[in-house]
Amino acid sequence: MAALRTLTAEAPAAPPALWDPVVRLTHWGIALSVLINALVNKGGSLLHVSLGWLVMALLILRLVWGALGPSEARFSAFPPNPVAAVRHLGQLVSGRVREYPSHNPAGALMAYVFWATLAVVTATGLILTGGATPMQVAAEKAAVASGDWSALIKESEGESSDEDTALRHTAEEVHDVAANLLLFLAALHVAGVVVESRAMRRNLVAPMVLGQRRK
Amino acid sequence: MTAGPDLRTAGRRQTAALSVFLLVQTLGTVFFVGDVIGDLRKDPASMHFAFEAIVTAALVLGILFGSFALRRTIELLRAQDQALAVARGALSDVIERQFQSWAFTPAERDVGLLALKGLDVAEIAELRGAAQGTVRAQLTRIYSKAGVSGRAQFAAFFVEDLLGQGVTAS
Repeated sequence: MAALRTLTAEAPAAPPALWDPVVRLTHWGIALSVLINALVNKGGSLLHVSLGWLVMALLILRLVWGALGPSEARFSAFPPNPVAAVRHLGQLVSGRVREYPSHNPAGALMAYVFWATLAVVTATGLILTGGATPMQVAAEKAAVASGDWSALIKESEGESSDEDTALRHTAEEVHDVAANLLLFLAALHVAGVVVESRAMRRNLVAPMVLGQRRK
Repeated sequence: MTAGPDLRTAGRRQTAALSVFLLVQTLGTVFFVGDVIGDLRKDPASMHFAFEAIVTAALVLGILFGSFALRRTIELLRAQDQALAVARGALSDVIERQFQSWAFTPAERDVGLLALKGLDVAEIAELRGAAQGTVRAQLTRIYSKAGVSGRAQFAAFFVEDLLGQGVTAS
């Protein structure tokens, strides 16, 4: 009898048992791209630039989804609210946790900080490459490889080169710092998921992967 | 019960495919816009600009409409899922109430439900860890309490309810 009952009794304010595919796709796409770009390949390489553009597309898609997606993916479901976030962390420490229909306030704040940092990283990355698309980078690399060094000259010929190098230097600094911040945030995010899963006695990872397996 | 998970996986596959498509679309748009901006900076007086602006607008609109359509699909799937769950819950409520009005014992309720789900005597006995004779005796009592001739009529009692010709319990 219990088997027949479980389907009807859905807690009203619980996060979804399975996030929608766009949320999952953008989440893991960004996570993977950031990890690869930060830890494995070096800046300026074709792969690095391509992944950067991929992250930009994923970020844009997620932001569009935040305006047009289903209710729990929309910004209105998890407004940035530092006060509520602090209150939630306090509840977490005292062991009394509440359920939220979407991200909890602390997680929501984390998401917004993530997106802002990602925007900074991609924007400074664009400044560093001069806005070159992966196709242009590939073409330039191919030209240089075939012995045509003129592709390299273009960058240094401008008249305001002093100002340009200063800007590039700043962009590089910001790019590095923001990228490290991303890794720090990712670690914090994973720690948060572990703590929250313990406190709620619920697997918070499954909804972001394939959902609960039902028998 | 078999139709539920199949429907769900089909729906999941469909929305997953649409999401991947949406991502590819966004990626294409971002690359295209990047290329257009690059072209403009190289040659601001480009005659292509008007054409490229239209393509850009079309691509952006495609993403917006695609997102909207995907959201509608997801919401529709959820609504169907919920309707199915409500229907199941309603049926189980009807069965529960009927069992009560027949004054089934807890054991008879369990056996009756398993019988409704289509399990045969041997399977029910195994599930409940009881002898087959016990289950057979329980089923006989269930049929007599319900005033039906056997399993077929017992199941038909609730199917008839579903078909909308309410059967009043005596």
